[in-house]
Parts: sequence; C-alpha cells; structure tokens
Amino acid sequence: MSIEVKKLVKAFGEKKVIDDVSFKVNDGEILAIVGFSGSGKSTILKLISNLVEKDSGEIITSGGDIAFVFQYSALFDSLTVFDNIAFALHERNDLRKKYSEKQIREIVNEKLGLVGLKGIENLFPSELSGGMQKRVSFARAIVTEPKVILYDEPTAGLDPIASTLIEDYILRLRNETGATSIVVTHQMSTIQRTADKVIMLYDGKIVFTGTPQELCNTDNEYAKQFVTASIEGPMHIIEQ
Amino acid sequence: MALVRNILKQTVTYKLFKSILVNLIDFMEVMGNITTCTIEFFKSLFKGELDRKELIVQCERFGISSLPITLSIVGMTSVIIVSQVAQEMVKQGGGNFVGALVAVLIVRELGVIMSGFAIISMIGSSLASELATMRVTEQIDALKTLKVNPFGYLFAPRVVAGMLMMPLVVIISSLFGILAGALTSDLAAGLSYRVYFESIWIGIFAKDLFVCLAKAVCFGAVIALISCTFGYYASGGAKGVGIATTRAVVWSFVAIVIIDMLFAIAFFF
Ligand SMILES: Nc1ncnc2c1ncn2[C@@H]1O[C@H](COP(=O)(O)OP(=O)(O)OP(=O)(O)O)[C@@H](O)[C@H]1O
Ligand SMILES: [Mg+2]
Repeated sequence: MSIEVKKLVKAFGEKKVIDDVSFKVNDGEILAIVGFSGSGKSTILKLISNLVEKDSGEIITSGGDIAFVFQYSALFDSLTVFDNIAFALHERNDLRKKYSEKQIREIVNEKLGLVGLKGIENLFPSELSGGMQKRVSFARAIVTEPKVILYDEPTAGLDPIASTLIEDYILRLRNETGATSIVVTHQMSTIQRTADKVIMLYDGKIVFTGTPQELCNTDNEYAKQFVTASIEGPMHIIEQ
Repeated sequence: MALVRNILKQTVTYKLFKSILVNLIDFMEVMGNITTCTIEFFKSLFKGELDRKELIVQCERFGISSLPITLSIVGMTSVIIVSQVAQEMVKQGGGNFVGALVAVLIVRELGVIMSGFAIISMIGSSLASELATMRVTEQIDALKTLKVNPFGYLFAPRVVAGMLMMPLVVIISSLFGILAGALTSDLAAGLSYRVYFESIWIGIFAKDLFVCLAKAVCFGAVIALISCTFGYYASGGAKGVGIATTRAVVWSFVAIVIIDMLFAIAFFF
C-alpha cells in the first residue's frame, strides 16, 4: 500500500504548520521524516491518520488499516499491559469474535516477546518506565499486523539495545508483511538502519529529500546543519 | 476613521457587547458539541457498539459508589424539613399530613433533584475529568487509530449506565428520605409511624411516581452526556482537564434545573 501526499496545508490559528508539502511513499518503503522540534512532523502523521483535519491538499492511501505508534505512548492507563495490547482484538467490531481468548493470549505474548518485555502482562502503564511504555505502545499498534504503520519517534528515549530491537522489528514487519512505514525520528541510527528515503522538514516545508547516505554526504545546507547538529546554519530554533 | 474605531474600542459598551458575543459564540459551540455527541451516541447504540463489560463497570460506578452520598443528602434534607414543621403541624391539628408533606416534597422534587446534584458532583465531574485526561494524553486518538469508536466504547456505556442507575438511586434515596422523615417526626413531635405512613398516600399518586422516574432517566442521561462531551472536547494539558471538569459540572447543574422546570410546567402547571 502506498501513501501519497499532495500540496498538504495545515494551519493552527494563524500559524501554518504544514505549508504545501508533497511526497510519496511506495508500497513496502520506509520513509524517515526528520526536522527540529516543532517543525510539524507529528502533525503530518496525524493528518495522514485522520486525527487532525487538513486545510487543503490531498492524502491518498489505498485503504486498509493505518497503525500509529504515538510519541508519548498514549497507553490506556486504566487497562493492564495485556488489555492494552489486546485492545483491538477485544474491542474492534470486526475482530471481536475472531480470536479465542487463548489465541489472543498467544498473540499478546508473542508481541511482548518481540519488544523484549515478557512477563509484564499484569502491570499497569503507570508502573512502567517511559521506555517500557513506548515498547508496549509499539506492540499495541502492530497487534493487527497493519499494512501502513506511522511511527512517531519510536526509538526516542530508548537505550541503544531497545532501539535496535525496535529498528529490527520495523524492518522485519516490512520484510515479512510488506508494510509501508513512515518513521519520524531524530536518531541517526534509526535513520541509517531502517529508512529507504529521508525528508527533512523546516518551517512547514520540505528542505531536503534523499537517501540516508545522501543525508550524510550532501551539500544541502539544511541537511549538513542537521547531521552536524550545528547552531550555525539556515535553520534557527531560537526565534531572533 | 482608525482613530474613531480605536476610541470606540475603549468604551465599556463595546467591551460589554464583545463579551456577550464571545459568550454567545461559545454557547453555540457547546450546544453544537452536545448535539453532535448525542447523535453519535445514538448511532453507536443502533450499530450495537455498546460494550457490555464496560456497561457493568459504569453501572457500579454510577449506582453503587454514589449511594452513600445521595442517601445522606436526601435523608438529611428530610430531617431538616420535618424537624422544622412537624411540631407546628401537630399543634395545629395537621399531624395527619406530615407524612404526605414529606412524601410529596421528596417524590415530586427533592429526591430526584438532590440525587441529581450529588451525582453531578461525584460522577459527572469524574466522567468529565476522565475523558478529558484521555483526550489530552492522546488516549482518545489512540482509540481512533485502533479503529474503536470512542462513542461506542466511552459514551455508550456511561450514558446508558446513567439512564439505568439514576432511577434506582432516586428510588432508594427517596425511600430512605421518607423513612428518615418518619423517624424524625416520631422523635420531634411524637407522631406515630402508622399515622405518618398512612398519610403518605394522601399526597402521592401514580402520576407522581411516573414523573419522578421519567425525570430520573432524563437526568442520568443528560448528566452523563454533558460530562462526557466536555471531557471529549477538552484541550491543553492539566489546565484543560480542570476547565472541562468545571464547565461540565456547571452545565449539568443548569441543565437539570431547566429540565426539572420543563417537567413541572408540562405535568403540574
Ligand atoms: N492541536 C494543536 N493546536 C495548536 N497548535 C498545535 C497543535 N498541534 C501542534 N501544534 C503546533 O504545531 C507545531 C508543530 O507541532 P508538531 O507536534 O507537529 O511538531 P513536531 O515536529 O512533532 O515536534 P517534536 O519533535 O517536538 O515532537 C508546533 O508549533 C505546535 O505548537
Ligand atoms: Mg512530535
């Protein structure tokens, strides 16, 4: 399944957060979106998954489920880890009667194993560390094996090994199910290890498009500033 | 021209009209939100999305956990009334009517409205803050991306629980109130229980009971719907949760008094 975004515009009040953005992610491709804090990365994902209404432009997806891994986990805090992960299987109208309780238990266990968190089924989200919450949130989103997955900073705040686990699984999902993904991330390792293509946002516009290699070697001033994490450059984080 | 406009903008009249306009727009927006949520609630009911397991949880919350407060409020109201009028009524030869007076007051009005107030402050506020927290922590967004309708999963069980449990709460607390009245008239004026309980049926008719229960169902639905709506549309962090909760309580209070008035006009005018 592919995702195509054409001339997308979104403003909050007076401020144009997304200003004429177009890109395409082909079937089975992984696109990384990078950019400084507040550049509108989360907003793009929310527009694609219809959580935020666009002002103008087009978003074309060829139907099917769009899974979303939230930046701040967004786990249901009144439910246990087990119920969080099993949520879609228990509550979604079309899946409700599809699996037996035993099958659900197996699926949840498998997903928990994948993110390296076996044995925490009965804990509540508030009893987990931030990184653990993030991994549970990841498991919850992929429980239905969706064909399009949007990841909002899936590895931010994780230790290097947990990051590698998640990165591997992003790749594995793509290789096994052909899932199309968009990964918002700041982490170089995540970009290098998972992405086929990278776009960079600044001030609501795309200022760089290329492969992860090109991101590191290009003459593009924006990309250079991002990769070297320099204060000097075309992008200003602090308003002057 | 710009100067005139600037001076005009400083005047109290301008400020007054502007604040009225802002409030009016806000009012329309809230009404729109409540209408949208009501429609979506019914749609989810007809689609059979009501979650049974959640419904039981919410019924417990609405009915059982609120009983101590509703019972004591309605009971004490009854004690207050009886201790003020019982002696005087007996002295004036109206001892036969103490039970009737208490029953009419409680069944027609006090039982249901006092329970309503208690439920708003206990359950309504917690519904609003619960949904508002879910909104600002993106849990409602998460519901949507998991393809679960928030109206079927969150609204339906809460509103249906309100409609089912509110009548129960009103019946139990009214009975308790009438009982407390009997006890008080015995202690305060030496009125016998037999006289008190026989006089109840002088004042109460089937119509009163019917109206009382109909009001209770309406109150339950309206309190749950308004509270959930404010929670659902909350925004902006912890402060937003606080604002949503306060507004849910205020709107619910006003709404049930208005509904109460409409019932009074329709049935007893
Ligand atoms: N619901 C909203 N209402 C008003 N403004 C918003 C809303 N959501 C986002 N914004 C604004 O849009 C801009 C982009 O926000 P967004 O969350 O997309 O940034 P981001 O690139 O994901 O940043 P970060 O890396 O910090 O997560 C910000 O300036 C933010 O203030
Ligand atoms: Mg973000």
